[in-house]
This record gives sequence, structure tokens and C-alpha cells, in this order.
Amino acid sequence: MSNSIDKISEDNNSMNFLAFRWIAIFSDGTKIEQFENDIEHNFQEIKDKFSDLAYFNLTDRKGHMFSVDLINGLIGYNYLTLPYIKVKEKKDNIRLIYFRRHQVEITEKMIEKSHTIIYFLGIQWATINNENRNIILQIDENGDFIINGK
Amino acid sequence: MALGLLQVTLCHKKEINNKMSATHQFSESNGAGEVETIPIVNLNFGSIDMAQLTPATYPIIRGQASFEKYLRCKFTGVWTEINNMKFWKSSGNYKTGETISAAANVSYVQPSNTANADSSIPTIEGSALAIQSAEGNTNIVYGESGVSGYTKYIRLQTKSTGSTPAGIGNTKIFTFQYDEV
Repeated sequence: MSNSIDKISEDNNSMNFLAFRWIAIFSDGTKIEQFENDIEHNFQEIKDKFSDLAYFNLTDRKGHMFSVDLINGLIGYNYLTLPYIKVKEKKDNIRLIYFRRHQVEITEKMIEKSHTIIYFLGIQWATINNENRNIILQIDENGDFIINGK
Repeated sequence: MALGLLQVTLCHKKEINNKMSATHQFSESNGAGEVETIPIVNLNFGSIDMAQLTPATYPIIRGQASFEKYLRCKFTGVWTEINNMKFWKSSGNYKTGETISAAANVSYVQPSNTANADSSIPTIEGSALAIQSAEGNTNIVYGESGVSGYTKYIRLQTKSTGSTPAGIGNTKIFTFQYDEV
């Protein structure tokens, strides 16, 4: 990232750092880390080879790790599979769900009172009846999370 | 049940400054010829068409409306796609006779202190204003031809009545939300 972008970030965002960073691992064993050698990779690089994506992990500096296994349709937290009954059903066309939800609070007196980020991480798949299902974790910046699904 | 899917050693001790991928700034536009102030540090309403005004110097006269505010967000940095942009008033009680109106995705015209016909600003996420990109799309794709990184304008105005008590109003909190990948 350029110095000018860093400056903008420091000047105008109350939170300058992402709590979690991603690592994508592909079926041929290659991987892309979001931050490598002080360079940030764009998520588009993953989308460009989405069909080859095998694992997608989110990790922070506190030791939290969330992992999505796109081959078997599993979601893990700190090396353990999250217990969720629907994970055990047969799944086809397993796809990654990942985005960051920003909430910026503005008051009249302060243009940015707070800035929080929730990480949405999960999978969606088709059942044997061709119904679309998903499981999504909502992870806050402390690594606490809730599970949603349908 | 053990999860045997991790095929890399994760280096938690590795110190990397995880900079924000997309960064944002808010701007306000004023004047007949549109003068943009970016970034702005506050969103004070008042009796003058001016960004970052001092309310004590330009108070809103009881029974009148403030000058309209034309607010935009500009994204910079690197991202893949930004979407699901919303804006609403998330907290802060009105005083008697006070309301704040808002309209999304409007065109810029010189701000006025004549009470406009915009609806009251939504107060829950479920009915929040859906904000578009400056180009009129529901998403902002990084690097796409013609993409400015701006949202469309959000127009805000605070209104009072003769029964509105004098003095400083309660602090209102507005929330701007967006999804980024």
C-alpha cells in the first residue's frame, strides 16, 4: 500500500488494523495470504480461482483461528469442528461465504465516533433435494462469534 | 471431533500491520457551485450553508429548519467489492417538535434552509436508507471502469417547531454500514 493510502487510513478511520487476516489454500497446495511481505493481496485473487479453493482460514494475533473446509463442508474453530447438525448432511456445490461488515457511527460533533467490523464467514451448499443451505459465523474483533444458518 | 484440515503452519507471532483494506472518508458539499470539504470532522447542523460550522455561532432559530447537509462517503485503498450500504439514525432522542429528515441518492443542489419534504430518517437498520454508488449501482467494484469510489449524496436536514425547547439538542448517532470483501 502506498504511503498516501496509509496516511488516509490513519487520519480518517478510528481503527487502522484488521483484527483478522485470511489465508486461502488451493487444491494444488498453493496458498495466498492476505498480507505477505508487507503487501496486501486482493480477495479478487481468490475469486479468480474460486473453484480450486480448498481451505479458507481466518486468524488473529490472539490465537483465534476459524477455518472453512470447502472440500468436506466443515467449519472449524481452533482445530475443532464446530458442532452443527446440518454440517453432517451430504453437500454439493460447496461455496465460501466471506465478507466484512463495517458499522461506522457518526454524531453531529464527531464524524466517526466508532468503527466496528464483524467478519462473516461460512459456507453455502446444495442439499440432495437441491435446496440451498448455509452456515455463517459472525465473528467480532475479539474473536467472539455466533452461528447462523438456514 | 478433530478437524484435520489445516495444512499450513499459522504464524501468530508474525508481526504484520493488517491495514484496513478499504478506507473511507466523509465529505460535505456546499454552495451554489458545489464546494466539497473532504474529509469533514463533524456534521453540525446550523443556520448557514457551511461545512464543519460552529453551532453556537450559527444556531437554528426555533420553528425553522437547518440548512441541508449533503453528505457522501468516498472509499479509497484496495478492496474487491463494497455493497449493502445503509444509513440510519441508530440512537438519540428528539426534543419536542424536533425531527431529522433524510433522503438517499439525491442529486446535489445548493443547500437550503427551507423545510424540505424528505421523510424522517429511519431509526432501525431494517428500514435504513439504501445507499448507491455515485454511478447508481448497489455495489462499488474496485478498479472497474468509471468507478469513482464515491457514494451518492445523502441529504439531511433538522427541523424544529415553535414548541421545540431552546438549547442544545440531544446527541444523535447515525450509522453508516457497508459490507466489504
